[in-house]
Amino acid sequence: MISGDANLPVTGPRDRMSFFDAQRRNRRATWRLSVMSVLAAVVMGIPLALIVTPLLYAAALIGASIVNYFRPLPADFWQQGDRLAHFAAIAGNWMFNHQPADPASLAAGAAVLLLPGVILSVALWLGVNALFERAGVGGALLALKVREPNPADVHELRLADVAPEMAIAAGVPAPRILLIDAPAANAAVIGTLPEDARIVVTRGLVERLNRDELAGALAHLVASIGNGDLKIAFRVTSVFETCGLLVALINSPFGPQSRRTLWRVVRYAFAGKGDAEEAAIVAALLTRGAGLETDDIDNLFDTISSKESVLRSIRNFLLFPIFFTNMAIKLSLWFFSGVMLEPSVALLWRTRKYLADAAAVQLTRNPDGLAEALRKLNGGRGAIPGGEWASHLFLVNPGGSDRMHDGKHNAAQQERIARNWAASEAGGKNNPTSDMPTVLREIAATGRAAIAGDQKAAARMEAFRQSAAAALRTNVAEMPDWSDVAAAQHGDPQALRRLQQFSRKMEETCEPQQDSPQSSDLSQKGFLSFYPSLKRRLKRLDRMGAHVKLESAGRKPWIAIGVLGVLLGPPLLAAGALLVLLVGILTMASLTFLLVWLAFIHAATGLLIRQ
Amino acid sequence: MHGVQQWVAIGIAGGAIVWLILAYNSLVALRVRTQNAWAQVDVQLKRRHDLIPNLVETARGYMQHERSTLEAVTQARTNAVAAASGPLPQRVVAESVLTGALGKFFAVAENYPQLRASENMQLLQEELTSTENRIATARQFYNDETMRYNTAQAIFPRSLMARPFGFSPATMFAADEADRANVQVKF
Repeated sequence: MISGDANLPVTGPRDRMSFFDAQRRNRRATWRLSVMSVLAAVVMGIPLALIVTPLLYAAALIGASIVNYFRPLPADFWQQGDRLAHFAAIAGNWMFNHQPADPASLAAGAAVLLLPGVILSVALWLGVNALFERAGVGGALLALKVREPNPADVHELRLADVAPEMAIAAGVPAPRILLIDAPAANAAVIGTLPEDARIVVTRGLVERLNRDELAGALAHLVASIGNGDLKIAFRVTSVFETCGLLVALINSPFGPQSRRTLWRVVRYAFAGKGDAEEAAIVAALLTRGAGLETDDIDNLFDTISSKESVLRSIRNFLLFPIFFTNMAIKLSLWFFSGVMLEPSVALLWRTRKYLADAAAVQLTRNPDGLAEALRKLNGGRGAIPGGEWASHLFLVNPGGSDRMHDGKHNAAQQERIARNWAASEAGGKNNPTSDMPTVLREIAATGRAAIAGDQKAAARMEAFRQSAAAALRTNVAEMPDWSDVAAAQHGDPQALRRLQQFSRKMEETCEPQQDSPQSSDLSQKGFLSFYPSLKRRLKRLDRMGAHVKLESAGRKPWIAIGVLGVLLGPPLLAAGALLVLLVGILTMASLTFLLVWLAFIHAATGLLIRQ
Repeated sequence: MHGVQQWVAIGIAGGAIVWLILAYNSLVALRVRTQNAWAQVDVQLKRRHDLIPNLVETARGYMQHERSTLEAVTQARTNAVAAASGPLPQRVVAESVLTGALGKFFAVAENYPQLRASENMQLLQEELTSTENRIATARQFYNDETMRYNTAQAIFPRSLMARPFGFSPATMFAADEADRANVQVKF
């Protein structure tokens, strides 16, 4: 095949691209975007360091003052402190009062102002890396409720066979394959290192894809492991976790919730051997912290207004300066990570997906398989219970538009649904099938029969509705009132109206995904998804020779986007500038209060020493 | 001035030696990968040999009237196992005869719905399909690696040192004539 036949006509689009070229291109894109992401992290780090540094100095000075009271520190120490302050003052004057300064002392001033904050952040980041590196994947796998594929089942044997085929094609050791019994069709790579990587596949995927499509899907995942995506994902997550840890640290004086998180991190850090399950929980807590959803600050205001005790008000008064720092840090984190870090990381991650797609074509030499698989999975996607934190590691976006039953219920709920369904059967034949797809199919079929006018089916649906509502404590409105359905069949206008109301409400509740209350979901964080759109992926596969029929969507309305940009750009810029100003004011306020506080402590200790 | 020239000469010589070492090492690494890829093909061929007795045993109960087909498969397998330690051209012939015999076997098996429906047979057929795929992907991987190895030898600065240091292009798998004949499509 390779040794000739050069005169075969090449069919396909003119801008056809070989999978080798596509991989090279995406590797270059990854490079560009990782440089951009690192830059974004640095740009985010500078204001953070500027905000955190004074706090550190203040803490050090307070500590020194207290030590000084018990055991007077040498005069040398205070002189060094003076010199540091002098450099900082030079830099400050140069910035704000436009006073001339020589470069050497400017650099020293910048170092004095930035270094402590930078050192703290980098130390935190390294600590987070060390903390989770040893944890492995056990906890994640526990949360996903995985099992080994069963070789006696043809579907699962095929899965267990295709994975080594792809591993051979890639020349890597065969990864371990694990199954999740979930109706949603998706697959993911879980792990922190290529050696402990596991490919996790849902039963829904195994049932829905044929052999070629399965090969395409698994080739994508094997290639993703081979390309080192796990390491990139680990580093990216660790940056967000560090942000979460920083927020938890700065929040800890104010609220029990952050203190609990911190305590958990500390306990985990000193627990010796890494407990995988605990690691997963801690990681989820931290990524959630970065989302700034903690309500500790609200609690602070509550206690101020309620005036519970004098002692507490004194504590709150003492913590007041840190409150401004806290707000400044949160605001700048929110702003910089939302505007710069997350979008660049999302784009970086997309290039990894394209790269794995192109590599999958190299492994299978069959772009159609992957294209069909992507198309099918996109139709039947849904959240994987327990997999929210790993949502960026899947083949197709597990979130997004989601059909009603796929993944809306977690495993325990599914079990209860199945049990209730079996119990609602009129004959009382108690054989609960735990197979969720079958149960859902049965429910749907009975529902259709009920709507068509089957009295017995309607009665069963009503019984199931009531028992489910009682057991799940969910909204009864998740199912229509079946007596209404029957009445509507006979032309009752009121029942019809109630049904219409119900379906409207259904649409409203289904539209936004409010799956997991604890959304530690990385791929849903920013305004840019971590996944490229199906259309773009198919287009690229098409270029590599897949026979996909792309709907020739009209050209993108570039002019409209341009006009919108011109109109919205200046206000957005102004908003950004205002935000930066606000952060600056908050930092200054915090500094002022800190200074007052410091002066007070200094005076107090001075008085005590003199006595 | 004399000293500077000397240092420049030493620098160039040192750089050349470092380049030589790096180039040699990367070529050796590529060669090892190619050899490893070749070994993978071997492993998968052996896997196919191991599966066949089971397949024949399962089919025997259903296909009593097709003794000749089954015997052809068994015979082809015996020959292929014998040829496995022999020279390459004989091996290729033996393996393609085995592929042909298996193809005929599955074509005949189509006429026995009971056999096709047997769960054991389905599992075996899946295993065999997977093995055929593995042989194909192992060949493909071997070809990919060989292409990288040969390209690395052929591009310019390295092409100067490849031959003197004993690197020679590896040969790729081409689809053999028997396989190619199957691909012909008539309209």
